[in-house]
Amino acid sequence: MGEPELAGVTVGLIGAGNIAHVHVAAWQALGARLLVHSHAGAAELAAEYGLEVADSLDALFAAVEFVDIVTPSATHKEITLAAIKAGRDVICEKPLTLTAADSRELSEAATAAGVRIYPAHVVRFFPEYVAAHEAVVAGKIGKVAVARFFRQASSPAERGWYRDVARSGGVIMDLMVHDLDQARWICGEVTSVYAVQSPPTVDGISPVNVAAHVTLTHEGGAISHLRATWGAGGTPFKTGFSIAGSSGLLEYASDQDTGFAEELQDNASTGDLLIPASTLFESPYLTQLRELAAALRGGPETRVVADDGIAAVYLAEAARESMETGRTVDMNTFTPGVSA
Amino acid sequence: MKVAIASFAHTHAGSYADLLSGMPDIEVLSSDPDGAAAPDAGPRGAELASKFGVPYVDSYDELFAWGPDAVVVTSENALHRGLVERAAAVGAHVLCEKPLATEVADGEAMIAACEAAGVILMVAYPVRFAPSYGRLRAMVEAGRLGDVFAVVGTNNGKIPYDQRQWFTDAALAGGGALVDHTVHCADLIDGLTGGAEAVRVYAAANRVLHQDKGVSVETGGLVTITYDNGLLATIDCSWSMPDNGPTWGGVTLQVTGTNGSVEIAPFLQHVGGTNADGEVFLPVGGNLDALMLTEFLTAARASVPGSELVVPQPDGFVGLRTLRIVDAARRSALSGQPVDLP
Repeated sequence: MGEPELAGVTVGLIGAGNIAHVHVAAWQALGARLLVHSHAGAAELAAEYGLEVADSLDALFAAVEFVDIVTPSATHKEITLAAIKAGRDVICEKPLTLTAADSRELSEAATAAGVRIYPAHVVRFFPEYVAAHEAVVAGKIGKVAVARFFRQASSPAERGWYRDVARSGGVIMDLMVHDLDQARWICGEVTSVYAVQSPPTVDGISPVNVAAHVTLTHEGGAISHLRATWGAGGTPFKTGFSIAGSSGLLEYASDQDTGFAEELQDNASTGDLLIPASTLFESPYLTQLRELAAALRGGPETRVVADDGIAAVYLAEAARESMETGRTVDMNTFTPGVSA
Repeated sequence: MKVAIASFAHTHAGSYADLLSGMPDIEVLSSDPDGAAAPDAGPRGAELASKFGVPYVDSYDELFAWGPDAVVVTSENALHRGLVERAAAVGAHVLCEKPLATEVADGEAMIAACEAAGVILMVAYPVRFAPSYGRLRAMVEAGRLGDVFAVVGTNNGKIPYDQRQWFTDAALAGGGALVDHTVHCADLIDGLTGGAEAVRVYAAANRVLHQDKGVSVETGGLVTITYDNGLLATIDCSWSMPDNGPTWGGVTLQVTGTNGSVEIAPFLQHVGGTNADGEVFLPVGGNLDALMLTEFLTAARASVPGSELVVPQPDGFVGLRTLRIVDAARRSALSGQPVDLP
């Protein structure tokens, strides 16, 4: 049985910010027809890529098979609920919402309405992370013992809505949420969370330059450490991991072994600091959207489902709870918003 | 100058013996009376001294009666205190293998004993002498990183099990990987901050690695430290270099400030490749032990009776600050909650 045909599918893109450009390129490569609706920037995005603009969400819903939500995090809930109400399946940028309770509400509403929602945890489609996951699952390094993940980027908090923790969730919810998902995917379900942020968030405003360190303990005995950094302006985007198991070690850093080393004097590449240039055979964003869209058209189930998006947000909330209380959060009893 | 080596329990004793016996104007005498009872496969005691090419006496009584000017203490961690106190009692300067001790009270007593005797107490943290660390420290001190707000350190090596079994004996070592490997990175951070005190320490530890060897101490650990100046640091102290890895392991320190970051890996410089045994790793760094010993001996030579004490770094206070972190990490790993330090 072949993959469902995607060429000609009509997709509704909601949002026209940074990540929209990457999604548009992927959808167009897959042969999709795109309608875009956005609070701002829809016309410009449409003009740049030759898209159609929908003047309202309802007009968009009426014209598309499913939607791809790439708006700021705090708007995900409302837009997803509207899509569910309109009977449209949803692909939603991470984090699914800013609280696990909201994410669960979306999942339940989707189930009740007979539609599906997929959180876009794109790192599950990056081949290095896929390779590590497959090696661990195949027992190539034995039992996972100690893992480290890191992710750093030039701080987006110098501009836009990222600094407002109520809207972005801060550096853990916005950036580390990828590695919270990875740690769970590779090391197993999480039993406890300890988190510290430096400098701390004050009055709901994140520092521009900030690092969060989170330590997780996992069912099965593994421990993991996650670092997410919003670095000084100009900090190159960089991620990596080290996964030590009882019979081996897996290591990766995105600036090593890329197979492409540039040394230009004039006109050197500057690149996008948030979404770096890649030498991969295929954009992981394209791989992701192909798999999610195929599932929505009757293909096989995806490697990431709504429950994974909920779990990642739940872990980010636990991390924030730990930062605020200075205590370890027990995931068997954690209820967001209620201090132990 | 007369330099005594007290015990061959720590594998670094061989490196110090080799370096000291090659130095002009240094007389060396060694003793390893507990070696015969140790459950290690290789030679200890007089036989090992002869392999190292250093003179040997059978008892610590003879060693200290020799009247050493300086003593290098390379015993099991839990036995450091007794030997340091004996060295201080004969007026000898001390270079003590890391960690300073297994208990904070022992470390405090060792500092007090050396202060009372007017002798140097230096702790053997050789990574401090790595050129990459020197560059990093100079950049931090010159403000080139801006305000430093976060550090991640790793000290991942092979389990030191084959050569010396006491490293995995909780009574003699004070614990496992948390004790053996947290302190090097903690020392490097101490040097960058000018001795900031840890105020909160959280550690997660486990025993997943090396269970095939029946090891009862922790073999993996992650230690997160908040300092009194606000700095956040995490140290991965796991013995996670596989037994068949191409090198013993290494140290990294990734330091982030408001103007960017620096990552050092003092043991990374090497020539790589492949041969019949697999991966080749030919280290090309210099001898950090030699730099450290020179620092110690230079200070010891200058600190003759009657003149002011020249205190080399890292000193006993660095040893104590880093020991407090280890002790808090051990308690945190047991309780599952962070430990606040007064």
